[in-house]
Amino acid sequence: MRGRWLAAAAALLALALFSGSRMRRLHEPRFPRLAELRTGPFAFQDTALAAAGFRAPAADLAWIQLLQYAAGGVPELPDRPGHPYEHLAELSLRVTRLDPSFHRAALFGAGILAWFRGIERPDEAAELLHEGMRRSPEEPLYALYLAAIAFKKQGDTDRMAALLESSFDLPQTPSTMKAILANLRQSRGEYRQALALWQRILENDRDRSEHARAKIKIAELKRLLAQQKR
Amino acid sequence: MQTLSAVFAYTFKEHVRRKAWLSSALFGLVLLGGALIVSALGADERARLMLDLGLAAIEAIALVSVVYLTVNLILAEIESRAIHLILSHPVRRADYLLGRFLGTVASVALGMAVMALMHAALLGLYGWWEPLRYLAALGCMLGKTAVMGALSLLLSLALTSEAAAMAFAVFLWTLGHFSSEMRFLADRSGSSFLKTALVAFSHAAPDFAHFNYRDFWHAPAPPSAWLAWAGLYALAYTAACLALSVQLFEQKEF
Repeated sequence: MRGRWLAAAAALLALALFSGSRMRRLHEPRFPRLAELRTGPFAFQDTALAAAGFRAPAADLAWIQLLQYAAGGVPELPDRPGHPYEHLAELSLRVTRLDPSFHRAALFGAGILAWFRGIERPDEAAELLHEGMRRSPEEPLYALYLAAIAFKKQGDTDRMAALLESSFDLPQTPSTMKAILANLRQSRGEYRQALALWQRILENDRDRSEHARAKIKIAELKRLLAQQKR
Repeated sequence: MQTLSAVFAYTFKEHVRRKAWLSSALFGLVLLGGALIVSALGADERARLMLDLGLAAIEAIALVSVVYLTVNLILAEIESRAIHLILSHPVRRADYLLGRFLGTVASVALGMAVMALMHAALLGLYGWWEPLRYLAALGCMLGKTAVMGALSLLLSLALTSEAAAMAFAVFLWTLGHFSSEMRFLADRSGSSFLKTALVAFSHAAPDFAHFNYRDFWHAPAPPSAWLAWAGLYALAYTAACLALSVQLFEQKEF
């Protein structure tokens, strides 16, 4: 009788192993291996959180650091003079390697790299999108942005703008990308279309981070339209 | 059964009076403060950040609570010699141990439910509402908590040292999240000894990597059958650890 609990434990462990194998067969999380995480000043933070089972929160923190970098830089990764957003692709990849379902990070980074005035590094953006697409093929915006980059390289900005605008109201489109698109219309002298895009940004609650800029831009574009009429 | 329910009720009340509510109140403050900061920093991903960080905080607090409570559950009574008094009554050791464990897990689960209510209310304020998936994530977190509680109890009885049991529990927690990595290393390894050792370790340690619904929330959802197998896995693993704990407890001489 002394060994009955031991026998019960063995039977239960066998049941656990069986149900565990069924569980794994039904769903395998698509996380990149820890060895694939980006090295650099944040490697310890990322590895520690991922090893403790907090990959999604680790990706969230990496996203905040990416936003901080995009807004003016982080002390751990200074840009060399004349090399703006030098670490943007690296920081975007860091987020998506922690959590490949964080599509917005790759789209945000690619949007700045491909279409920000004065940056324009579409090849880096395409690499970022290719990796995002490889890890999360279900996200349609990766392919759409890659196609838009291809149009940009061909100099076909009409089709590029039209393609990007087709994703304007999708919830996964980053607010920064919407602002880039509105600025693109303005730089082409299409003030009316630019105004309409900024108004859509202002009406969308998800684009709260761009609302302050939208108000300024709307006033500016209305002034430009009034001047054009005169 | 009557003894088991009496021990369960006594343990549950004991924890609720002492620690469970304190951790919930602490969590509430952390959550509200964290949500305010995160909402300002997360830009377009405000709701996602609140969801992930809130669930992670619930799990971290539940983990710390359950490891601390279960490690001390029996050891404290052995040290204070209260166990002699309890076992001098007609109480089966298995009933006593299971009642104590279930009461502890129930009190931690109550704490988790309170935290989850506060968290869901905050998410609701930001317009987020996916109750079924939220419940599935909470269920998986409770499963992990139960498995860790049972493992900590087993370790406390096997090692008879609070510090060693807690250190090993944290080690097993981390190892559990490495199960996929261990299988990957085993696949790549050229040495058959290393391969066997890694596979054995990956099966013996709790497979938290596949159980972490909270972490793969934003990826395509697993099929509903997965949840049933995951639940069975947590139950069986917890029960196996408890059976081993009872075996050890019955062999102990007081």
